[in-house]
Parts: sequence; C-alpha cells; structure tokens
Amino acid sequence: MRSVAGLALIFVALGVFGPMLAPVDPTQIDIPNRLSAPNPQAWLGTDAMGRDILSRLLHGARWSLGLAFLISVMGLVIGTLIGLLAALGGKVIDWIVMRTTDTFLAFPELVASVVIAGVLGASTGSLIFALTVTSWMRYARVARAIGLSLKTRGYVVQARLAGVSNLSIARWHYLPSLLPSLTVVWTGMFARAILGISTLGFLGFGVQPPMPEWGTMLLDARIHMRSTPLQMIWPGLSVVVCVLAINLAGDTLRDALAEQDHKA
Amino acid sequence: MLDVDQVSVRYSSTVTLRDVSLSLAPSRTLAVVGESGAGKSTLINAILGLVPCPTGHVTWDAKPVRKCRPALVMQEPRSAFNPRMSLRRSVKEPLRGRQLDEDRLARLCSGLEIAPDLLDRRPAEVSIGQAQRVGILRALIAAPPLVLFDEPLSALDAVTQKHTARLIAQMQREEGFAALIVTHDLGYAAAFAEEIAVLRAGRIEELTPARAFVDAPQTAYGRTLRDAAFALGAFERVA
Amino acid sequence: MIQIFVSLVLRAVVVLTGTALATFALLWHAPGDPALAIAMARHNAIVPTEVIDLVRAEAGLDAGFFVAFQAWIAPLLMGDFGQSSVTGRDVWPEMVTAISYTVPLALAALFIGLAISVPLALLATRSPGSWVDRGAVALASIGVAIPAFWLGLLLILLFAVQLDWLPAMGARTSAHMILPALTLGLGVAASLTRILRSSILEARDQAFLPALRRRGVIHRDIERDHVAPHAAIPFVTVLGLELAFLLEGLVVVEVIFARPGLASFLVSAIEARDFPKVQVAVLVTAVVFVVVNLLIDLAFRTLDPRIGEHDA
Repeated sequence: MRSVAGLALIFVALGVFGPMLAPVDPTQIDIPNRLSAPNPQAWLGTDAMGRDILSRLLHGARWSLGLAFLISVMGLVIGTLIGLLAALGGKVIDWIVMRTTDTFLAFPELVASVVIAGVLGASTGSLIFALTVTSWMRYARVARAIGLSLKTRGYVVQARLAGVSNLSIARWHYLPSLLPSLTVVWTGMFARAILGISTLGFLGFGVQPPMPEWGTMLLDARIHMRSTPLQMIWPGLSVVVCVLAINLAGDTLRDALAEQDHKA
Repeated sequence: MLDVDQVSVRYSSTVTLRDVSLSLAPSRTLAVVGESGAGKSTLINAILGLVPCPTGHVTWDAKPVRKCRPALVMQEPRSAFNPRMSLRRSVKEPLRGRQLDEDRLARLCSGLEIAPDLLDRRPAEVSIGQAQRVGILRALIAAPPLVLFDEPLSALDAVTQKHTARLIAQMQREEGFAALIVTHDLGYAAAFAEEIAVLRAGRIEELTPARAFVDAPQTAYGRTLRDAAFALGAFERVA
Repeated sequence: MIQIFVSLVLRAVVVLTGTALATFALLWHAPGDPALAIAMARHNAIVPTEVIDLVRAEAGLDAGFFVAFQAWIAPLLMGDFGQSSVTGRDVWPEMVTAISYTVPLALAALFIGLAISVPLALLATRSPGSWVDRGAVALASIGVAIPAFWLGLLLILLFAVQLDWLPAMGARTSAHMILPALTLGLGVAASLTRILRSSILEARDQAFLPALRRRGVIHRDIERDHVAPHAAIPFVTVLGLELAFLLEGLVVVEVIFARPGLASFLVSAIEARDFPKVQVAVLVTAVVFVVVNLLIDLAFRTLDPRIGEHDA
C-alpha cells in the first residue's frame, strides 16, 4: 500500500515539478538538429522540429497529469452533488436525474468526448469541457446508490426527526460515508482522464501544438515512424506508466477499504 | 395529547395498518404489543410521518405531530448513531444549533447513569447498554412532549434490560413526557405502561388498562399472548 | 417479467430521446452558422445572404431550437436520414457501408478477446497467488493501461514497418483486418481477464461450497453447477462495458489504420463539420449501444433471480 502510494506521489510531483527539471525550453525549435538520436545534449533525442524530447515529455506531464487531475476532480464534485440530489430529492427528482445520467451513459464516454471536443473546435477549453461532461456519471450513480441505502439508517432517521436540513444531512451524514467509495471511483476516472486527454490529443482534438502533450507528441512522431521509431516509444510509455501506477494505487485502496469494511 | 385517528397504511398492495385509533395524554404511558409483523414498527413510522398515511390523521394537540418534535428511541442503539461522530455531537443534534444547556445535560446524564467522558467516544467504543442510554439522552435533550420507544430493550441482555426499563420510567417521572412503547415483551409492557394496546395483523385487537390486562384480557388473542408470556415467566422477570 | 420489459424499453426510449436532444443542442451551439455551411456546400461558392436565409428557413433553423429539432427528427423517424451538407449525397447508404466494415472488425476483436481471456483466467484461478496467476494479473493490468492508439502504432511499427509481414493501412484484403483486430482484441482481453478472474474467485468463495465439498460432491460438478453460473453474471454485465470499450477503441483504431467504418465516418464528418452525418452517426451508435445494453440487462435478470422488480 505504502509503496504504491509513494509511486502515485512521485507522479503527482512529476506533474507539478516536472517542467522545472526539464533541461531546455520544450518549444525551442532547432532545425539543424532535427530528428537526432539520443545523445549527451538531448538524452532522448529531438523531434521533427529539433525540440528536445525529454523536455517535452516533462512539460507534457503537467498537461496530461494536471488536466486529468482537474477534470477528474470536477467530475467528482459534479457527480457527487448530482447523486446526492437524486438520493435526497424525492422520487420525481430521482427519476429525472437518473434518466439524465442514463442519457449521458447512452454513449461510450470517450466517443462522446471526441464528438463534443470535435464539434466545439479543438482547444484546451473544449477538451476540458468534453471530458468533464462525460465523467460525472459514475460518481453520481455511486453517490445515489449509497445515499439511498443510508436513507433508512438509524442515524439518518434520527437527524430527520430532529429537523436537520437536507443540506446538513448530506454534509455530515452522507458525504463521510460516500468518500471512501468515491475515492476509489476517482482513481479509475483519473486514469481514464489521462487516456482521454492523450487520445483526444492524438486525434487532433485536444491540446494544440506547440504545447507539448503526450498524445499530440505521438501524433507528430507517427509520421517519422520509419526513421526514428524510438520517438514514438516515450510519450506512449509515459501514458502507460502513469495509468498503471494510478490503477494500482486504486486497486490497493479498494482492497484496503474492503478489508476495513470486513473488520467493522 | 397524541391523537391517532383511523390511520391506515399500505405498502404497494399489502395493508399493514387498518383503521388504527389511539390516544395518549401527556405524561402517560401506552404500550403497543404484538407479534413480529403485526405492524408495530409501521405504527411508529406512521405517527412520526416517516411513511405516508393516505387515510386518517395523527395529531398532537390538534396540530401535526411533527410540530411537537417527537423523539424516537430505536431498537438498535449502535446504528442510531453516526459511527464517525462523537456521541456528544449526535446528542446535540436535536437542539439544531441552539445553545446546549450544560446543567440540563449533566442532570440527564446523572439520571441515566452516563459517565460524562462517555460522550466523547464514538458509538463503536461503548457497550450496547451504554449506547441505548445515550440514545435515551438524545431523545430527551430537547425536552419533547412525546417520546416513542421502538423495542427499546430488545438489543440488551436481561440485566441491562431491567436496569434500562427502570431508568426510562424514572426519567419519565422527572421529565413528564408521554411515552408510547412498542414492544413484544408483555412483561415489560404490563410493568411499566398504564394501558396496553394489542396489535394484530394491522388492527388494534384490544385496548385495556395494564393491570386489568394481566388479570383478564378482553379477547381470545389477548389471552393467548398473556398465557404465553406467563409460561415464559415474563411478568416475574421485569416487575 | 413483462412489466420489467416494458419499463426497460420505455427507459431506453427516454434515453435515446435525450441523446437526440443533447446531440442537436451541441450542434446548435457549435461555432459557425449551419445555414451558411449548408448553403456553401450546396452552391460551392460564395453565396448571397438571400440564399443563406432561404436555406435557414428550409431547415427550420430560424424558428428556434425546438422547431428546428422537430424539422430534423420527424423525417428521421420516417427513415429519411438526410443528406450530407458537404457532398449533398444521402447519408444512409454511406452509413451502411461504414457499418459493414465495422461489425466484422468488432466481432473479430471480441473473439480474440474471449479466446485469450477465458483460458488465461481459468489458468490463473487454478491456483490463486501462484506465479501463473500473478503473471496473468500483471499482464492484464499493463494491458488495461496501454492506450489503444499506442498499441496500434507499436503493432504497425513491429509487424508492418520492421518485419513487413502484414499490411497496415486500408481494408482491401482480409489480412488488413489482422492488426486492427489484434489492437482492439488485446485491450478487450486485458480487461476481460481481470474481471473474469475476480468473478471466478468470488464464485468459489460462496459460503455453501465447503458444505458441498464435505458432502462429497466432486470438484467438477461444483465448478459446473455452482461456480460457473455465479461467475457468468458479472461476465454478462461486463460485455456491456466491453462494447463501450470496443466503440472507444474503434475511434482510434479506424483512424490509425485508415480503415473505413462507423468511427472513421464519425471522425471525418466532425473534421469536415458535416453535421447531418455527425448526427446520424451519433444516433446509430447510441441506438446500438442502448439496445445491446438493454438485451444484456434482460439476460442479467434472467440469470440472477435475486434482482427484483424494484431495481427496474
């Protein structure tokens, strides 16, 4: 558990401090040295415009991890509020909210974000919008399901009898019980957001050049697959390692919570 | 005074309460007895407005019952408290932000034999008996005129049952609330209530003063219940 | 059962209506003037304002959102899927061609996924915690973390560029399907293996199984009568998730391998801002997705009698 958490921490740190570690400016063009192999000046070589790949990868960490964090946290907040609304709002509101959730789930999330980002026009703003509006549904479902199961719990009935407002009940009695499960969902969605950002970037609907983003870097590298195949390895590997670490952290967290539940 | 007037409750297609009428004056005690499935818990939920009752009225002094902020003591004391909060916070909940009267809290605590530091623990850190006494404390803290007890002794062991039953009666003398006790324990009902209502399949089968009920139930079903309780020694156990 | 069926179908209808509304709203708010786009596509030149206004009135675009929505959805419900705003040709025949490329690819990928994951999960759960099990879990965990577009590029790099064994671009021969199907299939295999493994382990953990064993019921019968059906329930629900995964994977796979198909139809329509095509592609995908999930839901309820009416 601790080692996994440590690993996840390293990645967060990389997202925050990565750019500071970058040896050179990731957007600095150097045409004479384009597509160079790894060498002492550029440890991972340079891309088609002579930009240092290592620096671009480190700066890309901020885009991929930072945006994914932002998107997944927004999804968490929105989804939890919607789920709580469904659980506390009575039958009619519950029906409306749940059918809305179903509607958003009527389409594979990533395909939906491709359509939304593509139609709104490629920009970081539409990327964030497209991935956020397609990422709140799982939280909403989990929050609602747990919320409904809490409704008849003794202490919630007591709070209701005491005349405690819905808002306070949600804050003090529902939210603490929801958080463990929502955190597990969140790790999964964080990993999905990283995949989503790089996929949209790769399709040209995401973060726009010259900003270094792992998916966009792959799109550039693809053209030079024959001459410099290594260029294609690094951004993809970065995505895989991050997603893997976050998924492992999520699995460990889930197991730890299940064990805790078991004991209680 | 509590007035339950011809209340019927149905869940989907099954009727769980049929034309139930009861009344309970301030400071008095009414016990509702019956087998499991007779509709006892539904009656409590209907009085508290936790289930919709499409027919009939439940009032306290001619106003909806919820207006008088009735309190409930639950069967399972542990689940009646948020496991993540200290007992003190849960106890203060019925005050809804009003200032806690520390003298009153101390008086109630000593009356219910709750050690002052007990309230700083969480529900999982106290015994069931202690949790139930804190449950009673929470019910009484805002001085409600009506307190409902849903099988208040069922989760406790025999010694604690007796003790808790005495404490409830003593608190009622001091506080003067009307008590509606739902129980399947006829011995408890006979010893502590002034009136006994027998609930069977959602109907009030009979409504008799407690003393008279032990001597001579008015209905055959009442007799069956009393005889079964006699056989188990219920009346000696509690009284 | 009939009641459940009706309520589920009704729910699917509500959901699809919602999807149609949401899609239309998205395109309605898209940057750019749709009437201008249509007019330019039709007349292939700089058009005078009157022509644009004419087009706008024709498509009901000037009368507000709901009128325009009606003007669009009514012919659609009658089976008229409209014309491309770029080429002016009917959308539906192109759509059918696209689907005819996508379905075999999706089926092949699903087949590859099952062919790898089922034996692997059975092998892994034979002795949980052994190195075989750990290896399978590790492989599957890595597999889930690999983005489909990167896996596709790596396969192209290895099999098409370096080894020159397989074709990578287009869909001319059946050999062209191997790499895309493998890209999708490996991803499906990874997630299926994880889920299958945990559901088999959970099914073996049922409380009554030790009693059966003590009564002398043999291992094979227990596996067949008690473990397999229990493990099948999450498996069926997961197929719905796999469908989502396949559709998501198709978007990149069809683009990378330059294959015609539903997803590349959608992506190229978005890039060309050909909104009639986008709308139809989105709706067809949603219908497929919702209908398959509806069927899965019904199968799930038949398999697991514990799911009651109140969950409908």
